[in-house]
Amino acid sequence: MFLDLHSHSVSSDDSRATVEQYLKWIQVLRKREYTVDGFVLTEHRKFDSHLDYSTLAEQYGVTVLKGSELDTRYGHFLVYGVTEALTRDIDFSDVRLDARVLMEAARKHGGLALPAHPGRFGIGLVDYMEQGEEFKDVEIVERLNGGSRPGENERASDLCDSKSYLGIGGSDAHLTSHIGACLTNFSGKISSEGELVEALLSGEFQPVWLEDTKV
Amino acid sequence: MPYFEEIELGDEVGPLVIEASDDGVLEFCRVWGNDAPSRFTDAAIAEKDRFAGPIVPGIMSMALMARLFTDWAGPEALKDLDLVFRQPVPHNSPLNISATITDTRQEDGENILECDVLMTGPEGQRYVGGKALVSLPSRT
Repeated sequence: MFLDLHSHSVSSDDSRATVEQYLKWIQVLRKREYTVDGFVLTEHRKFDSHLDYSTLAEQYGVTVLKGSELDTRYGHFLVYGVTEALTRDIDFSDVRLDARVLMEAARKHGGLALPAHPGRFGIGLVDYMEQGEEFKDVEIVERLNGGSRPGENERASDLCDSKSYLGIGGSDAHLTSHIGACLTNFSGKISSEGELVEALLSGEFQPVWLEDTKV
Repeated sequence: MPYFEEIELGDEVGPLVIEASDDGVLEFCRVWGNDAPSRFTDAAIAEKDRFAGPIVPGIMSMALMARLFTDWAGPEALKDLDLVFRQPVPHNSPLNISATITDTRQEDGENILECDVLMTGPEGQRYVGGKALVSLPSRT
């Protein structure tokens, strides 16, 4: 199953794509023989617990899950399996979060937090590690990010290889036509945020480019 | 002139490859009525404002991106341009402006295209991105 694990809708202040526009665009990709089974909305510094996309998702035959992308003092972190208890424990709007505290809290509440675009120049986890920071709880990072500049995904890949981290893929879409640019290929079916966390913890996945999904 | 009936989702517009030269930015600022030395025209001020060099004004980037559509479909085609400025746009460097048509609809008697539009740098840097609404005539 191919899921885009990193996307932003108009609920994020810097995106101009609605969820329905993403769903329509996925139909265009499917006509071109690409396989995109779903995506995770990872809105900036928030979790939209009140928004329900299940009717739209069913109408278009696409899995739509919800997560978050939080700012921390060690770069951006994607959070999956967000629960109400986690949002009480962690201030999602705090742009100076300690990523280590976030990772620990996410696991405590049944979720998972992992570094987004760790190779991003200036603000990615690689830069902080080069400064001597250690992150013992990191086991998975976003290895393929659709918004990366040349060299940034390569830095993420080098990080994965040197630390034996697993890698996921996400488009980081902020515009309609960018959804699905990078995805994660899971061996099993995923239909809820809880199943996504379980699948990530199982380690049975690979990051892929959209081109790799062509039928 | 393109016609609405010819459009398919995923069609590309452009690219328009253009450079904003020092002189071009200065001229734009004069026409704009904002030609006092600034981060747009003066290297020392730009550096003080923590930019690597003078930058292209946002309103000029917007004008360049609008040109992609007006060159393609005429001066009255562009109905809306909603942009997010993600990185400073430098002078004297190739700017690649392109759009992808993501949806079509008929609204109040008009044929409307929804487009993603992006301005990128020579190394793929995403400077400015957003959405445009464009109106096209029918063939009939």
